[in-house]
Amino acid sequence: MHRRLGWKERAFGYSSLIPYIAYTAVFWGYPFIWMLVLTFTKWNYFSSPKFNGFGNFITIFSDLMFWRIVLNTLNFLAFLIPMVLVASLVFALLLTKVKFGRTFIMLSFLLANVSSGVAYSLLFSNLFSVNGPVNRFLEETFGFTVPWFSNPELAVFSICLIITWKFIGYYGLILYAGLLSIPNSIYEAAQLDGATKSVIFWKITLPLLNPSLITVTILATTLTFGIFTEPYLITGGGPMYRTLTFMVYMYDTAFKRINPSYATTIAIVTAGLSYGLVMLIRKFFEKEVVFV
Amino acid sequence: MKREKIASYIITFVMLALAILWIYPYIWLVLSSFKPVEDIYTRFWPKRLTLEHYKFILQASERLHRPFVRAFMNSLFVTVTVTASVIVTSAILGYVISKIEFRLGKAIFNFILYQMLFPGFMFIIPMFILIRNLGWLNTYKALIVPSLISAWGTFMFAQAFKGIPKDYIEAARIDGANELWIVFKIMLPLAYSTASIVGLFTFIGTWDNFMWPLMVVRDYNKMPLSVLLASFNHEYAGYVGPVLAGAVIQTLPMLIIFLILRKFFLQGISITLK
Repeated sequence: MHRRLGWKERAFGYSSLIPYIAYTAVFWGYPFIWMLVLTFTKWNYFSSPKFNGFGNFITIFSDLMFWRIVLNTLNFLAFLIPMVLVASLVFALLLTKVKFGRTFIMLSFLLANVSSGVAYSLLFSNLFSVNGPVNRFLEETFGFTVPWFSNPELAVFSICLIITWKFIGYYGLILYAGLLSIPNSIYEAAQLDGATKSVIFWKITLPLLNPSLITVTILATTLTFGIFTEPYLITGGGPMYRTLTFMVYMYDTAFKRINPSYATTIAIVTAGLSYGLVMLIRKFFEKEVVFV
Repeated sequence: MKREKIASYIITFVMLALAILWIYPYIWLVLSSFKPVEDIYTRFWPKRLTLEHYKFILQASERLHRPFVRAFMNSLFVTVTVTASVIVTSAILGYVISKIEFRLGKAIFNFILYQMLFPGFMFIIPMFILIRNLGWLNTYKALIVPSLISAWGTFMFAQAFKGIPKDYIEAARIDGANELWIVFKIMLPLAYSTASIVGLFTFIGTWDNFMWPLMVVRDYNKMPLSVLLASFNHEYAGYVGPVLAGAVIQTLPMLIIFLILRKFFLQGISITLK
């Protein structure tokens, strides 16, 4: 009896996994092989791929535009990571102190998070345009305007600003959940030992929040390597190629310069860089946290 | 103690003010889409409300060969199909790899973990080549078929099902239930919060997807709204009103589904922490 039941469920298992395997072979395996083929060949969609060895990788490291994008990405990270970490940490800390309206506050910040990439890019490019409402307000009250998207360095900052707008609610709630998971007894013990508020924050709250802070840092880092919609729609990669990202370069290489093999190489190198940076962050900043 | 109480009230009001500042862009967007064009950049409160931008989108767009209504329906069709399929396939596969003990299931579970290591953008150009070789460019298939099964969704269901005791399944089997019945009548209702999270994130991700449809669909009649809106903005950026009205329409379904399932969104966040 038992055996027959076991046979029946395994039959169900095979009959659902076999279609899955067939599907995955076509929509994952086949592209995976093409990915390998493309990186080691030269191809323009039409002729047959020509073997190129490590040629694409050699090209990429001598490609000035690639290094420009590496610098751009570091520039994005230098703004985005501190902005996102500080803002979401402040958000989470303040949220623990809020007396009423917590649901409304959380929802407002999360609404920003579920905005559509295309819609919010169009929204902010209008809101922050040269003679848009924000600049008009600044002109009327302070007598100056800000070239949000037309000054090279400011354009990077502005894109980071709108990404921060979008993600504070999400990242802030990750940290908020982390804060709630720290047992109250630890704070009480510290207070009994006469620890001041700043000592408690720096020596207890921050170290115990390490796992959530690392999660947010990693999420924001991988996000930075994948930025596409904002520069594609708002700045077009300019001014002076300063907001050009790996994804925009990959897209343009594949479809405007008709070079899919080089575009795939860009994707692989981007994934490698992103993975490497995440590993470095984990190695240097991640601490094991155990609540006793 | 009293000072702390006052401080926390001040913090509450600061946070409420920030919350309103955070939705200000949305308020501006919605108000602007109803303002006459000359007021969009100059006034916050409209002098009068107008539906001209929405009318423009509904009718005049046909003249410019930018069928917004059709694009909205395309987005809806693609998104609903993908979301439904991901929930169904993820539930079945998640059940198979977490609750049925056989070697192939274990192997597939490990393979799914391995799959999730790769960022999606690595596959996007090889995937384009596959779709091109299949002759699916400019079809709905290009937008739907590659997303019918989700490694992440399967993983989420597998994790949720692991926590459900096997006795439930055994009892149902003794009553003569078949496996599909068990998945959809016993397991899925017990994992409704996972189903909502997978559904919500799949819906939002598919509706908002931009790079992929930009690559595979050039035909205005097959475009999802995100791409049509972007291309409209590219060519007719001067039509600020219609662009903003389009942005409202593009945002609305995501907001609605989020507000319906907001409870699970919060649960989803605490799950990603584990």
